[in-house]
Amino acid sequence: MAITAVMGYRIERRSTRSPFAWALALVLAGACALLVCAGLFIAAGADPWQAFAALLKGGLGSKRAIAETMVKATPLILTGLACTIAFRARLWNIGAEGQVFAGAMFAYWCQSALGDAPAPVQIAMIVIGALIGGALLGGLAGILKARFQVDEVISTVMLNYIIVYALSLLLQNGPWTEAGSFFEQTAMVPDAAQLPVILAKTRLHLGFLFALVAAAVVHVMLLRSSLGYEIRAAGSNLRALEFQGVKITRLIIVVMAISGAVAGLAGAFEVYGVQHRLKSGTLGGLGYTGIIIAILGQLRPIGVVAAALVFGVLLNGATLMQIKSGVPSALIYAVEAIILMFFLIAWAASEFRLRRLHHVE
Amino acid sequence: MWSDLLNLGIIVSVLAATIRIATPVLFSALGEVTAERAGVYNMGIEGTMLMGAFIGWLATYESGSSLIGLAAALLAGAVMSLIFAVMVISLKIDQIVTGLALNLLGSGLSTYWLRAAFSNMEKVPGITVLRTWPVPFLSDIPVVGPVLFNQGALTYLAFLLVPVIWLFLFRSRLGLEIRCIGENPKALDIKGHSVAARQYAAVIFGGAMAGLGGACLTIASTAHFVPDMVNGRGWLALVIVIAGGWRPGWILAAALFFSFLDALQLQIQGVGIAIPYQILLALPYIAAIVALMIRRRASRAPAMLGVSYRRE
Repeated sequence: MAITAVMGYRIERRSTRSPFAWALALVLAGACALLVCAGLFIAAGADPWQAFAALLKGGLGSKRAIAETMVKATPLILTGLACTIAFRARLWNIGAEGQVFAGAMFAYWCQSALGDAPAPVQIAMIVIGALIGGALLGGLAGILKARFQVDEVISTVMLNYIIVYALSLLLQNGPWTEAGSFFEQTAMVPDAAQLPVILAKTRLHLGFLFALVAAAVVHVMLLRSSLGYEIRAAGSNLRALEFQGVKITRLIIVVMAISGAVAGLAGAFEVYGVQHRLKSGTLGGLGYTGIIIAILGQLRPIGVVAAALVFGVLLNGATLMQIKSGVPSALIYAVEAIILMFFLIAWAASEFRLRRLHHVE
Repeated sequence: MWSDLLNLGIIVSVLAATIRIATPVLFSALGEVTAERAGVYNMGIEGTMLMGAFIGWLATYESGSSLIGLAAALLAGAVMSLIFAVMVISLKIDQIVTGLALNLLGSGLSTYWLRAAFSNMEKVPGITVLRTWPVPFLSDIPVVGPVLFNQGALTYLAFLLVPVIWLFLFRSRLGLEIRCIGENPKALDIKGHSVAARQYAAVIFGGAMAGLGGACLTIASTAHFVPDMVNGRGWLALVIVIAGGWRPGWILAAALFFSFLDALQLQIQGVGIAIPYQILLALPYIAAIVALMIRRRASRAPAMLGVSYRRE
């Protein structure tokens, strides 16, 4: 052990973390991020107080603002859950980004085959399609890892790029292109296929409730099911799990497929709940933000929901912030990354404690 | 139309483009292999390249000098990887998570800075890009001349760096120590040499090279900065290191392979062959997955790659 004693104190590694460590790390990270954020506001020539006030007002200032914040949080809850499932098993699924696209595309493909079916059938089809689409892309990365030892981080990133080109191919003078449209987008989906609004005069749609249900299901799955046990065990001791007779290759593929399926829901809900059409470019970034959400939420579904709601405030408030103070809304993406970095640092630091040295006679 | 690709002029132009396109990924991959040999898996290359591309472009625009721009890009890459190094070497935070965070930081910060600095302008201004620099006499050789010796200065530098890194890693004392850290850090620690100091050096060098690689995209190529313009090249650099088996010579070969696909793609579009461009653009990423399926990761990787060194 390195001795770094200063004035009778020494930094030591803790054997266990105090229960408040997580909360403390989060508060510290938030405070540091606020300071850096204020610096960025000043650098952009804006009054930080005015900018912060606009950010909060835009995100929480009225019933409509809160509903819109929940709309923004919906896909992030799902991608955060997707990353949580995989990260718990120490599978670094960076592919939620692409699995969002796959879910949206497969859901669109299934739903557009239905024609004039009644709304419940349409919505059931959308959910099933999204789950399958995401599971296919996630499962593919799982197969590449389990059967061919291809690092899942790299394969999922590559698949993220590939799926975006695939969507562009289908949308640009392709079979899905809206007739007569110059843009890379489909026609509007029929009313019966749009997720119903659950709060009048807002855009808050059924997908938000589905996302909360998904969080509850993932929570139960992780803590109460045998699969959840295997996932947690895979994250802590893979060898021991193997000795118990669990087929690791199968587990990898299953976990990646489930993770992908949940991410797929995020894409389909964005298309059928918010955009009401599939277009290229509006689904980007959801998966990468999900990584941050999962880590800030400490890989726990309840934490994920909380982190997603906070990020929903930031994303939603950014528009008003840009109008009121002229700070570009792109700031939010920098701030999200800065919060993550400070959180990681604070979390690592909470592993240590300052201890007063006792004099040994 | 396919036969159009087989005339000499086109072949020369595809090969010359291959060499040119290989430049940024070669810088990044050579920097990354140095860090990885020291046991540190820096997955934040994509974000580091982005910051290099942006800062290099911004500094060139503000100062009017490409040299200052390149120096700024080196510095930006070094600062990004210093953040990474503090987090993974000193604080021992998971290398994969930290690398991903670095990518998000690079992407977010460069986009925000661009929008904040040029918000009141209609169009983001361009810079004067570096011109090609034909080598006297050698560039007059038929075929070989225009392919190899009619390139930009940065391209020559990147290719020169291949033997330099090889000599450093395999024929110098410090290189041996760095490779030792990747395989058995304890051996070095017991001898009283600082593992952390060498890892810091390797990671910061790697980051500076990624910054330079990123700057190639703006200063030597497009004259503009566009958000997320690195577009996966940082990730391809990681693939190239694996496909090249952590050895500089093979890394060069792998880099040339991927940039050949890219160059071919440009030319196919150029002669008007009717393949949707999306398929052509996706080709390097598909090839990357196939390359990793063929060359399994575990084989030649440094034993302690991605594992933080802790004294017991």
